[in-house]
Amino acid sequence: MEFDFSPIVDNWRFFANGLGVTLALSAASAVASLLAGLAIALLRLYGPAWLRPLWVFYIDSMRAIPVLVVLVWMYFAFPVLASVSIPPFWAALVALTLHIAAYAAEVVRAGIESVRPGQTRAALALGMSRAQLLRKVVLPQAIVRMLPAFGSILTLAIKDTAIATVIAVPELMHSAETVAGQTYRPAEIFTCVMLAYFCILFPVTRGIDRLYQRLAHLGRS
Amino acid sequence: MNLDWSVVWTHRQALTHGALLTIGLTVLTMLLAVPGGIVLAMMRLSHQPLLSRASLAFVEFFRNLPLVLVIYWVFYVLPMTTDVQLSPMSTAIVALVLNVSAYNAETFRAGINSIRKGQLEAALAMGMSRHQAMAKVVIPQAARRVLPVLASTWVSLFKDTSLVSVIAVADLAYSAMQVRAQTFRVLEMLTAMAVMYWLMGYPQAKLVDWIHRKYGVKE
Amino acid sequence: MNASSTAASRRHADQPTVLAYEGVRKLFGDFVALQGVDLQVHKGEVVCLIGPSGSGKSTLLRCTNALETLDGGRILVDGQALPANETEVRQVRRRMGMVFQSFELFPHKNALDNVAMGPVTVLGMPEAEARQKAMALLDKVGLAAKAQNFPANLSGGQQQRVAIARALAMNPEVMLFDEPTSALDPETVGEVLSVMQRLAQEGMTMVVVTHEMGFARRVADWVVVFEAGAIIEQGPPAQIFDNPKTERTRDFLGHLGWNG
Repeated sequence: MEFDFSPIVDNWRFFANGLGVTLALSAASAVASLLAGLAIALLRLYGPAWLRPLWVFYIDSMRAIPVLVVLVWMYFAFPVLASVSIPPFWAALVALTLHIAAYAAEVVRAGIESVRPGQTRAALALGMSRAQLLRKVVLPQAIVRMLPAFGSILTLAIKDTAIATVIAVPELMHSAETVAGQTYRPAEIFTCVMLAYFCILFPVTRGIDRLYQRLAHLGRS
Repeated sequence: MNLDWSVVWTHRQALTHGALLTIGLTVLTMLLAVPGGIVLAMMRLSHQPLLSRASLAFVEFFRNLPLVLVIYWVFYVLPMTTDVQLSPMSTAIVALVLNVSAYNAETFRAGINSIRKGQLEAALAMGMSRHQAMAKVVIPQAARRVLPVLASTWVSLFKDTSLVSVIAVADLAYSAMQVRAQTFRVLEMLTAMAVMYWLMGYPQAKLVDWIHRKYGVKE
Repeated sequence: MNASSTAASRRHADQPTVLAYEGVRKLFGDFVALQGVDLQVHKGEVVCLIGPSGSGKSTLLRCTNALETLDGGRILVDGQALPANETEVRQVRRRMGMVFQSFELFPHKNALDNVAMGPVTVLGMPEAEARQKAMALLDKVGLAAKAQNFPANLSGGQQQRVAIARALAMNPEVMLFDEPTSALDPETVGEVLSVMQRLAQEGMTMVVVTHEMGFARRVADWVVVFEAGAIIEQGPPAQIFDNPKTERTRDFLGHLGWNG
C-alpha cells in the first residue's frame, strides 16, 4: 500500500481556497444564526403573543427537517419559486442560518429561563424597567450560561458547511471531492481533510470549555 | 411557473420506500450505537488508563468531524486500506454507528457521573462489589437521566440519515432527488421531500419534548 | 500525639477490641488529613468522635471500611488488618454497617426494598425472607407504616431511620455513623438520635462522628476529640465534657457554647 500525497501538495492553493470558504461560511452562518436566534427568542418570550405559534412552528420544523434538505431546497427550489438564481455560497448561508437559528433560539430561551426568578424580582424591586432588567441583569447572566451552547452552535456551523458540498459550494469538502475524483487518491486526500477538520473543530470545543470555566462564576446566582 | 404536483403522487412508491429506508436506518443505527456507546462509556470510566484513553480518543475524534466526511471516508478509504468491500448501505451504517456511538458514549458517561458518589459508596459500604453497585444502584438511576438525551440524539440521527444520499443509498433524500432529476420537477419534488421529512420528524420532536418533560431531572 | 487515656475509667476495656487504629495516616495530595492516629474500639462500646470540621473524624471513619485507602499505619478489624484486595475488603465491609450524612437511600427503590437490598444482593438471601426481615427492622425504627414509600416521600429523619435499618439488615458487628444528623431539620434530629440510643442500649458497637454534644454526653462510653488530623484528648464523657484535660478541648467546647 503506497501513499502518494502529491495531489494535496500540488493542489494546495485549491485546498487553501476551500478552507477559506469553509471558515468564511462557518463564521458567517454562526454569527447570523446567533443574532437571528437571539431575535427570535426575544420575540417569542417578550413579543406579541399572537406571533408566538409562528416562532414555535418554525423552531420545531427545523428540528424535523434535515439541513441537507434545506440546503438543497434553497439552492434548487427557491430560484424556481422566486425566479431568481442564487450563487451557491449565499444559498448555503441562508439555508444554514435558517436551520441553525432555530437551535440558537432554543438555546437563548433556555438560557434566559434559567436565570432565577429572584433576580428579576430583585431588579424590579429596585425600580428597574423591564427593558433595563433584561439588558442589565438577565441577559448578562444568561449569556454566560449559554456560552457552552454557543460553542456547540459554532461547531455545528462548521460541520454543516461540509454538507454544502452537495450544492457545489467550493468549500473544503468539495475541494477534497474534486481532487479525489481527478487523481483517484481518495485515501490520502480524505484522510488529510479529516485531520484538517479535526484540527479546526477540536480547538473550538476545547476553547469554549476553557472560556466557560473562567467565566462561569459570572452567571451563577 | 407551471407546477405539476402529480409527479409526487406518481412516484409515491419510490418516495415511500425511501422514507421506510430512512426509518430503518435510524432504527438499526440506534440499535447498534446504544450498546456501542455503553461499551465506550464503560471503557472511559474504567481504571485502566489504556482503555480509558482509547475511548476518549475515539469519542473526541468522531465528535469533531463532520458526518458527511466520515461517510465519504468509510466509503472510499476503508476498501482501500482494508480488504473489506462494503455495499453503500453497509458503509452508511458503519459511518452512522461510529458517529452516534461517540455521542452516546458521552451521554452515558455524563449520566453515570451525574449520580452522586454517595450512592456508590452506600452500595459498597454494604459489601456489594463494584459491579453489583453499578448494576443495581448507579445504572438504574442513570438510565432515567440518559433517556431524554438519547431521545434527542435519536431525532438528530433521523435527520443525519439524509446524508447517506451522497453515496447513493436510496433513502428519502436520495429517492426524492432522483425523481427530481428524472422529471425535472424541482420545486414540487424538493418541497415534497421537505414535507415528508417534516411529517415524520415533527411528531418525533414533540415526543422528545414530552420525554424531556416527563423524565427531566429537577435537582 | 495522643493524650493518655485513663484506662481505669474505660468501662469496656475488658471487652475484645473490635477496631484498632495504629498510626493511621491519610493524605489528600499535600493535605495531611490524619497524622498518625491510635485508637481502640471495644465490643459493645459507643465511641463518639468530635472536633472541628476538617479535623479528620469523617476521614477516619471512611478509612475504617476502606472507602478511603491509608497512606500509613494500619486498621485491625477483630485483630486482622484490613486487606488491600477489593474482594477481601468486601467481606470485611459486610461486618460493618455505615450510615451517611446524606442518607444515600436508593431513590429508585421503596423503603422496604432499600432495607432488603443488602441481604438479597450481597448475602444471597431469598427475597421473601429478606423482605420479612426488612419489615421487622423497619418496625424497630418505627417506620413499618412507610414500608412502601419511596425516599422522595419520606422526611429527612424518616430517610435516615430507613438508612439505619438498611445498615442493620446486614447483621453488622459494628455500626459506623458519619454525622448522621447534620443534614436534618432540628425537629427530626431527635427521632434519629433516639433510634441510635436504643441501639446503643442493646449493646451494639458504634463509632459515631457527630456534632450533637448532648447525645455524646448521654450515650457515649468513650469520647475522642480530634483536631487537625490528630487526637488531642480521649476519655469518658464525664472527663471530656466536665473536666477536659487539655486547653484545646476546652477551647473547642467553649466555641460551641457548651456549658455542661
